[in-house]
Amino acid sequence: MNDKAIDILDVINLPLDTKEQERAVKENVPSVKEGKLKTYDPKGDNVKRLLGMLKTKLNRQIVGSMVGCVHCGMCTDSCHYALARPDDPTMTPVYKADQIRKVFKKHFDWTGRIVPWWVHAGDPVNDEDLNKLKNIVFGTCTACRRCTLNCPMGVDTATLVRLSRSLLTELGIVPEGVFAVSRDQWETGNQMGVSEADYLDTIEWMEEESQDELEDSSLKIPLDKEDCDFMYTVNPREIKYDPRPLGAAAKIFHLAGESWTMPKRGWDMTNFGLFSGDDTLGGFVANNLYEAARKLKARRIVISECGHGYRASRWEGYNWAKHAQDTPSESVLVTLIRYINEGRITVDPSKNSLPITFHDSCNLARSGDLTEEPRWLLKRICTDFREMYPNRADNFCCTGGGGALSMVEYKPLRMEAGKVKADQLAATGAKIVCTSCHNCVDGLTDVIKHYKLDMQVVQILELVENALVLPEKQETV
Amino acid sequence: MSEFLRILENEVQIVALSFMGTVYIIRLAWMFHFRAGQEVTMSAGDAKTGVAYSMMNVVMPWAMESARKNWSFYVQFVIFHLGVILGIAATFIIPYWPWLFDIGSVVVIFQIVLAAATAVGVIRLIRRIVNPVMRLISTPDDYFSLVVMTFFFASGVFAMPNTYEVSETPLIIFFIMTTFFLIYVPFSKISHYLYYPFTRYLLGKTMGHRGVFPRRRGGELPAGLE
Repeated sequence: MNDKAIDILDVINLPLDTKEQERAVKENVPSVKEGKLKTYDPKGDNVKRLLGMLKTKLNRQIVGSMVGCVHCGMCTDSCHYALARPDDPTMTPVYKADQIRKVFKKHFDWTGRIVPWWVHAGDPVNDEDLNKLKNIVFGTCTACRRCTLNCPMGVDTATLVRLSRSLLTELGIVPEGVFAVSRDQWETGNQMGVSEADYLDTIEWMEEESQDELEDSSLKIPLDKEDCDFMYTVNPREIKYDPRPLGAAAKIFHLAGESWTMPKRGWDMTNFGLFSGDDTLGGFVANNLYEAARKLKARRIVISECGHGYRASRWEGYNWAKHAQDTPSESVLVTLIRYINEGRITVDPSKNSLPITFHDSCNLARSGDLTEEPRWLLKRICTDFREMYPNRADNFCCTGGGGALSMVEYKPLRMEAGKVKADQLAATGAKIVCTSCHNCVDGLTDVIKHYKLDMQVVQILELVENALVLPEKQETV
Repeated sequence: MSEFLRILENEVQIVALSFMGTVYIIRLAWMFHFRAGQEVTMSAGDAKTGVAYSMMNVVMPWAMESARKNWSFYVQFVIFHLGVILGIAATFIIPYWPWLFDIGSVVVIFQIVLAAATAVGVIRLIRRIVNPVMRLISTPDDYFSLVVMTFFFASGVFAMPNTYEVSETPLIIFFIMTTFFLIYVPFSKISHYLYYPFTRYLLGKTMGHRGVFPRRRGGELPAGLE
């Protein structure tokens, strides 16, 4: 582990890499050709375009956050980047938000227009400034919203960071990872470019695995079954990298006697539009989900464990798609609570006896309503649950939020900021940290490896599966 | 009382206040001309409760970690803003209900609060100059607003007895500063109090709708079991 603080200029001055964009243009990728996914034009007047777009993106919430900041500095202590780098004032949320606020003041604030130097109003000068802005809003912030909840004025700094990202995304001035994942989601409907064949193969594989594990060939992972109680939607990570949570869910739903299905299309509940600031992408992806549920006449949508996926599918997606919510949706945590509460599955907490702590994901706890649900479950599926502090909506980011995991160039700084999380984890004395978000799994795993903590990361589904008390088999005569 | 002071305390304040009011109305109209983001999802909480919780944030220091961890900062905030309230109140009391300042204890209370607010202003100014974060983010407006507010509080300490028959100078300074504020404030960060209801309302509405506000502290029933 390298203890030396990173020179922030090395981050701010990271050049704009457009190899993925050039490749996409060369390959005539449809989303680029159709203008859905923007690429960088070095010859364009990008500053002028940014200024023109800013006006179209302002709404009352954003304007309130622009004008409401009194520079009190109370947000400083809420940010894991600022806490991990106390000698670096550029890590504070207010500084990051001021990078777009000064542009707003120059063009929309009376004082900023007439006497810009008085309120530090100003425009980016050239593409180099825009690139620096890119490195600040993508590389030094995970949009965890901890600052928002700690602002006495109610300034939503995370939303201003997202606004900045959205403007830069329109200009193609984005980290390579952001472009690549956005492209995958436009082209394939899922964040990881999983083909339909691979998706179906994985479903089939997990169905067989779960049948074997339960010794029950009646277990099915239904696909495109109509008129079910719910349509289950997953994170592509569960298909591409680690399908065990999917297997666990299949077993649990089967044991609970559930009527459920997965859709052949529109199964990805994650949404890179949340991270890139692209509401059009956000609406497109979310609408895939909602359309699938409508087509299958599902009575509800159940969202597997994913923080940003839950937030995007349960909350933001309907607003982006301008589509009033017509199908109820819930996190799989709520589904599991129902099963245990109604006695549809039985769990034995002694099967999870190691000390376990819980990491509240930003998008579940600060931008969503799920803090007591995982705790209700954990108290019934493990014997030694330990809170970390602070927790719930005050918890610190895993460092992997805001799309950070796709932006490898910022990882060194992210790991430095992860010290706050590492200290939180170590203080619990737990051997296992449970979280309800795939991004957090990876973010926490990175922190644990970097800071050499003796812990492993699990999700709720895995613990419930482990705690399952299987019904006794009836012997056939 | 000289005619100059009488006009300064009265007509000049009315004109300046009218100017500030007019600018504020224009400012509010400007805010309202931006569309409000719409929430089209099924709620998980209550938007109205969220709004109330959010609006009351200023008097619930325990609700925010930043206030809990920096309780002295919150105390300073209270004192500073009490100074603002009493300073503004004095600008109305002196011309219209001067008998209130014939009561010795009232004068003492006002002076103590304004003196404390002056001290907080100085502390905050030192913080803004000395703390690297504050230095980086502070604009000339931030410094200037803090300096003039501190002077306003200080001038109020001397103006409160309202003993114009002894000397009109403290009152003249106090009311000139008040006039200046009424014209300057709408264009400065001091007008944040105009925006506070909006930012807190909008945040509270969203967070209440989503079940994030009021903040959960533990022990609440999970979704589906309420």
